Amino acid sequence: MKKIPSILIAAALGGALLPASAEIVVIVNKDNPATRMFSEQASQFFLGKSAMFTPIDQGEGSKIRTEFYQKIADKDPAQVKAIWSKLVFTGKATPPREFKSNNDVKKAVADDPKAIGYIDKSAVDESVKVILTLP
Amino acid sequence: MKKKLIVAAVLAAACVLPAHAATLGDGNLSISGFGTLGVAKTNTDDVRFVRYNQAAGVGDSPRIGLDSNLGLQASYSMTPALSATLQVLSRKSTSEQFTTELTWGFLKYKLNDETSVRLGRTVIPAFLISDYQNVGYANTMMRPPIELYGQEPLESVDGADLNWQHSFGDNNVTAQGFVGKSSGKLFVAAGGGSVTHYDAPAYGFAVTAEHGPLTVRAAHMRAKIEVNDFTLLNNLTDSLARFGFAQLANDMTVKGGKKMRFTSVGMTLDWQNIVAQAEYAQRRAQDAVYIPQSNSWYAMAGYRFGKVLPYYAHSHTNGAEQKIKPPLLPAALAVPVASFLSAPAQGTDLIGLRWDCAKSLALKVQYDRVKPSAKSGTLVYGPAVYSRTVNVIAAGVDFVF
Repeated sequence: MKKIPSILIAAALGGALLPASAEIVVIVNKDNPATRMFSEQASQFFLGKSAMFTPIDQGEGSKIRTEFYQKIADKDPAQVKAIWSKLVFTGKATPPREFKSNNDVKKAVADDPKAIGYIDKSAVDESVKVILTLP
Repeated sequence: MKKKLIVAAVLAAACVLPAHAATLGDGNLSISGFGTLGVAKTNTDDVRFVRYNQAAGVGDSPRIGLDSNLGLQASYSMTPALSATLQVLSRKSTSEQFTTELTWGFLKYKLNDETSVRLGRTVIPAFLISDYQNVGYANTMMRPPIELYGQEPLESVDGADLNWQHSFGDNNVTAQGFVGKSSGKLFVAAGGGSVTHYDAPAYGFAVTAEHGPLTVRAAHMRAKIEVNDFTLLNNLTDSLARFGFAQLANDMTVKGGKKMRFTSVGMTLDWQNIVAQAEYAQRRAQDAVYIPQSNSWYAMAGYRFGKVLPYYAHSHTNGAEQKIKPPLLPAALAVPVASFLSAPAQGTDLIGLRWDCAKSLALKVQYDRVKPSAKSGTLVYGPAVYSRTVNVIAAGVDFVF
């Protein structure tokens, strides 16, 4: 909450100063019939509640990953880790594969018809389909 | 020596492994693990506080054996549909020493996106957190409340299970059914401590429904528990038979197997900063057997202040209706029979704190006030009846890698 004033100031200054608050988009394979998705739906795949799509994660500890889970599920990295620990150590699921960059995530999503990932909006190209934008 | 080894192993795992990637190997193999390094003590040496089915426990001097454990898991995907998982767990269980056992070992086949079958050893999902109760990092509390988690003696089953997961709009439903045979050791504290062996064909199911932050769950299981080497009980039933109480002897014994059933309902809530967990369970005997019927429950509530989560819980168990009504017995038999047939009762108030202090690392402290109210509750190695409050203080680090 404390960030709001500085964001407003920075926004007033032109926004270019703010790479940190870039929009995150949720992407799927171009062959995926889905066209739109709500945050609650997308979070199901990233929290192991549904296996219909295969989640692709960004690197652990990365800024975009922390922001993504905060925005989509209001969870911090430790909470997400605890949720996956329950699934992993009961043999119910394996954690998402991780990729270190927007381009690698994009490529993994483009290669797998069932994949769902998230990247910076600025990294989007025609190889993937955006189904949700997280402001 | 073993204690030092496990401390070293745990510290090594805590400090070294998280620095590396979580996954090793060729992408199909993943190695992961979890553990707790904890130390605990109570305020008395009159009795010892134990986890369920634990021989060592803790008294008035600090011990790491109550809560410390180390689990290692390997999973290998042969194909997108077929995978194998092995998990071993080191902890203090029915032995005074740390021992290692195979907790999970199964082949999993995904029939489709919603359904999978597993063949091999799986942990019995009798209660809400049964199948991840040893993973400290995945739990809010330091340890599962013994009043409830001590009611069901079987941990894993060798057999098959079926898992199904489906979304109905915003609601997720998962169902699990299992069948197989459970076998293992049971620790008997009475008479100075001994270990018995059980075999138990078992089956059951668990159904979980999730709606946003709320999860509710119901489970039921049945088992025919057979123990042939429970000397204390066998000596008593032999005496009963000799003195003409053959019916009572047959009713009490677990030789040849007796049918029991376990039913539970539970919930978890993780809404904004409020964290809650509650559960109620019943243990019932279908056949006449010495094992007392019981009811137990606990409720926990916590509030998350950023990375720090203080919590409070109350946990309780007491006997339900006694299954066997013994005839008039000579005093020398009446006393031990009554002791076997009556259920312990106990209530615990506990406060604790979980602090997610670093990546994949949670620090916990917990203070329990344990109040036995029938027999000696779940406290062991003390007098047959003990009703003083025992305070347990514990601190530990949970980690995953």
